[in-house]
Amino acid sequence: MSLRVISLSFAASAAFLAAGAMAGAAVAQDRIQVTVWHQEQVQPRIEQFQAVIDAFNASQDQFEVIQQVQSWGSIYQKLPPAVAAGIQPDIQFTIPDFTITMRDTGVVQPVTDFVDELNAAHDFIDQAVVPYTDDGEVWAVPLYGMIQVLWYRKDMFEAAGLDPENPPATWEELIEAAKAVGGDDVHGIGVPASRSLATDQVLYSFMATNNGAEIFGEDGSVTFNTPENVETLEFYKQLAQLSPRGIASWTWAEPQDALNAGSVAMAIEKGQYLAIFETASGRPASDLGCAPVPMSSDGGRASIYYSNGAMIMTDDPNRRAGAEAFLRFVLEPENYAPFLLAEPGLFLPLTETGFTDEWRNDEVLQPYSECVDLMIEQSGYGVLPGFNTGTVQDAIGPIMASNIMSQVVQQLVVGDESAESAAAWGQKQMESALSQ
Amino acid sequence: MTTGDLAATQPNSAVVTAGSSEPAELPVRAGIGRLFIAPLLIWLGFTLAMPLAYCVWISLTNANTIGGVPRFVGLANYITVLRDGTMSGPFPLSLAWAFGGAVLQTLMAAGAAMLLHRKFRGQHIARTWIMASWVVPTIVTAFLWRWMLNADFGVVNHILLSINIIAEPIDFLGDPDYAFATVTWVNAWRWFPLMTLLILAALTRVAPEYYEAARVEGANNWQLFTKVTLPFIQPVLYVVGLLGTLWSINVFDIIWLTTKGGPLAATKTMPVAIYERAFQQFSLGEAAAMSMLLALFLLVFAVLFIKFVPRGASEQEVL
Repeated sequence: MSLRVISLSFAASAAFLAAGAMAGAAVAQDRIQVTVWHQEQVQPRIEQFQAVIDAFNASQDQFEVIQQVQSWGSIYQKLPPAVAAGIQPDIQFTIPDFTITMRDTGVVQPVTDFVDELNAAHDFIDQAVVPYTDDGEVWAVPLYGMIQVLWYRKDMFEAAGLDPENPPATWEELIEAAKAVGGDDVHGIGVPASRSLATDQVLYSFMATNNGAEIFGEDGSVTFNTPENVETLEFYKQLAQLSPRGIASWTWAEPQDALNAGSVAMAIEKGQYLAIFETASGRPASDLGCAPVPMSSDGGRASIYYSNGAMIMTDDPNRRAGAEAFLRFVLEPENYAPFLLAEPGLFLPLTETGFTDEWRNDEVLQPYSECVDLMIEQSGYGVLPGFNTGTVQDAIGPIMASNIMSQVVQQLVVGDESAESAAAWGQKQMESALSQ
Repeated sequence: MTTGDLAATQPNSAVVTAGSSEPAELPVRAGIGRLFIAPLLIWLGFTLAMPLAYCVWISLTNANTIGGVPRFVGLANYITVLRDGTMSGPFPLSLAWAFGGAVLQTLMAAGAAMLLHRKFRGQHIARTWIMASWVVPTIVTAFLWRWMLNADFGVVNHILLSINIIAEPIDFLGDPDYAFATVTWVNAWRWFPLMTLLILAALTRVAPEYYEAARVEGANNWQLFTKVTLPFIQPVLYVVGLLGTLWSINVFDIIWLTTKGGPLAATKTMPVAIYERAFQQFSLGEAAAMSMLLALFLLVFAVLFIKFVPRGASEQEVL
């Protein structure tokens, strides 16, 4: 092959590549890119989100949405530098206390009018929007809910002589049932006692059922050390004593594993228990029971509720339009069902139009239809520390990020402190967070 | 080789020839030399000096991790850190972590190195496999030990119960009485192979003739170790002691992945406390002040270590 032929071939290849690159750039420039950061790292969730994103990208030719997966473990470290460098995402998935913290970056855009528009079309439940409402504005678009309930093993109840169709409804009944089911290798209940958000959530659900949903007074002061919360802590200590030995290291996975393995009969958690119960436990779906979180004798029905949302973090009109178009697309009933099925049972609809047959009749959810209905009903009783009044205390960000409530549980369970002492300690820590 | 050739190859030779044939050569050559090292100095400035200076600046401000404009607060962050219990909690725990870990790792590594130094069948395989715990990622190490030490289904409790060493399961990572020692052990398990390798390399320097000569002189095994082996590996132990302490006091990952500094504050060393201050309480200024105090301590430690700890003898001095 002569040198001339080689040179011509090389030149032709280079020209071809250059033309291809320019064509690609032209295609990319046609569409406005909208970047989404979320913290749902589980592979099926990523794939399902991508399916919804692909459907959106195919439905129009103005915007192109790209998902980038982050983690809750690192998002507090990654997002502020990204904002400082001006490369933050256009849409950032969030929970209420993350939103209140990230608003300090100055790039979180109010979405009040947009949420009003979506509300008119889809009718959000109150618990979805209130946690994102502060200073007269709404700061995130609610996307899906998560609610805690009591999960229990009907087969273990039956074996212990308890009525599997009559789960405990009060604290006294919960203790009695846990004692009745507990044996040598089996524990009646498993509650976490690690320093973690998992422990925060279970403790708070019990606080809420004992008139302790608010940890701030009307004047903004911390009101954690109350007789009701002391009573709740005493109750939690009792539950911890009926739980397996290793609960000081438990977060979310361990109670679920223990329930599936049949080493505990009851646990308080969100709806992720549904999807893998049959395969993980080897038991039929009918053996998994659910009930509202048991309440104190003078308390009321409640449990912690997370309204997961999306913050819009761009003030560029075109990108904001793209972000709104995508979120509008997601909440359309025909797209919302596949979006929620990224994690069947855990991701709950928070719009009236979202309770579709397509979602309800999914093959994973269908065997647990009673529990699905219960979680939807329980969502109406949902509360979240610091976010129940439409005015948010800034201190709730560091209080939740530092897991102060779970540290109180550690004082109580691991440190064997009294409930009074642990509550006083928690009050002091929260006041310190408030003063900062 | 002529005198001129020699002058060209030896930098100091310019002094000898100064004022004779080429008096202007030194400044030119020195200038070229500086030009060559300038990129490296700039690089070091960017990668070392600038972040350090930035950290010092942040420690003097009320910087928030999330955003806002930092305001100069002087030494307020240092005063807060010195008064808020950090120096009586996480700091001494860090010292215990570093020195306890160093002793444990050295003992494990010295024992493993002596064992692997002996000739036996499968020696090469054993020398390779000893590195396994060091080469696996930290996340694997952490989860491996979390599973094995689990109070409810962990294999360690199962074994200890089955041979009646314990009467009831121990929550190794959840009980404040055990957590610190357990995490120290896990970290030592992770790092001792590296030290084993270094000590093993030092041991290979000891010729068998030295042992034979010592035996002829009537030395017993203990004397062989203290009079022959130890002097040879002491320089390595010196380096390992210095670097190991500096490294281990900064360990964050294995503690965070196993206990997150808990239960209570049983494993909250300085790096964990700094992380919490920065990313859970969002007080970047105070976290930077804690970092600077820790860095200052490590600097003083390194200077004192180099000044006062014997480095060990050279081979000639041993002989």
